[in-house]
Amino acid sequence: MHGFCNELTAMLPRLRRFARGLTQNAADADDLCQATVERALAARGQWQEGSRLDAWVYRIMRNQWIDETRARSRRARTFVHEDEGANVGVAADRDAENRVEIGNVDRALARLPAEQREAVVLVLVEGFAYREAAEIIGIPQGTLTSRLGRGREALLKELGETA
Amino acid sequence: MSVTPEELMALADGELSPEEAARVEAAVAADPVLARRLEAERKLRTVLRGHLDPVARQPVPDPLTDLIARAAAEDSERDMTDKIAEGIRPAPGEVVDLAAARVRREEAEKARKRAAKGPRIPVFADRRMAFAIAASLVLGLMLGTRLHGEGPVTQTRAGLVASGSLARTLDRQSASANDTDEPRILASFKRQGGDYCRVFAGTATSGIACRQNATWLLERTMPGTARQTGEYRQAGSGQADLMAAAQDMMQGEPLDAAQERAAIASDWH
Repeated sequence: MHGFCNELTAMLPRLRRFARGLTQNAADADDLCQATVERALAARGQWQEGSRLDAWVYRIMRNQWIDETRARSRRARTFVHEDEGANVGVAADRDAENRVEIGNVDRALARLPAEQREAVVLVLVEGFAYREAAEIIGIPQGTLTSRLGRGREALLKELGETA
Repeated sequence: MSVTPEELMALADGELSPEEAARVEAAVAADPVLARRLEAERKLRTVLRGHLDPVARQPVPDPLTDLIARAAAEDSERDMTDKIAEGIRPAPGEVVDLAAARVRREEAEKARKRAAKGPRIPVFADRRMAFAIAASLVLGLMLGTRLHGEGPVTQTRAGLVASGSLARTLDRQSASANDTDEPRILASFKRQGGDYCRVFAGTATSGIACRQNATWLLERTMPGTARQTGEYRQAGSGQADLMAAAQDMMQGEPLDAAQERAAIASDWH
């Protein structure tokens, strides 16, 4: 099990980068990393020695983030329903402020649908091969490449001048 | 000879077989529209990495490395005592949500700050923590321990990694830069295997750092000029040793100023 902990520690800088790519925000990324490491440690008995630990942990992180975003959108829906829009304007304003503060790349990534964003980040930033990225997400390779293609197209349009 | 957008993308991602790649490259060479498109694909990767790679170079927050070090110590404890009671380790599949993770993270930060402010007497939150620390010392694990607080060197499992001002110097400074800058870069080169490496000399530490996984791994360190000779910036035998070591690692010639600028601009990829 020492191998597990050592490898996990060595992987932390990359995990933090992936978390940032998924969340576009430093506080969420830190929380996501913490939750992912906790989950990975709790489940370390289930990891098969000899298999790739990084793909296993990336998968945990990616699933954790999906759970979190779903829970958030559930909370947001409940909130709007109960307060009948009284606070919608406030939320939108806060959103607009946040958007001013974040950079072009974060903004462009944030606008992508989650499924395209994770495909783009895994392949272009984290450097996984198509096959590996498809395994991490749990989809066929053809699905991955089509999401990747659409995500890229959107980013190229958005970042046209900088990219 | 037609090329689909998918093939172009796969070429940019290095996913084509050599034969396929040759065919697509030939088509690209003959078609300026395709060439521009390929260029844009590659630039997109550079832009994304340029934006996100700095996150991987930041020092990892202590609570994260501590979390793993504690788990490693628990595992060792378990190994050593063979049959220790179950229940120290959280049950597999325990639900972990981000809000709860944040609370724990913040508590750990606060505890650390309190500890930093208080008298320098080690206070361990509980016996298990004390045991974890002792075990990690005994076993030489010392996972993720910051050597000098926010200093220039961070220990990771992969080895010693440059952080803070040293990482910034290694990222950006050229060897020809004003040599009052501290630390100075003595040389940059590519080693066998293709990684970029840089020789640096400072008053505190000198060494050779090589670029791996978006960090600067310290391949070799030695006391800096101040401690080594007692006299600031006297090129001691230490620097000669470093340059000799660099020579041995080097593939071809050291980078010239233009190559070094290009490497800095491409973020050492």
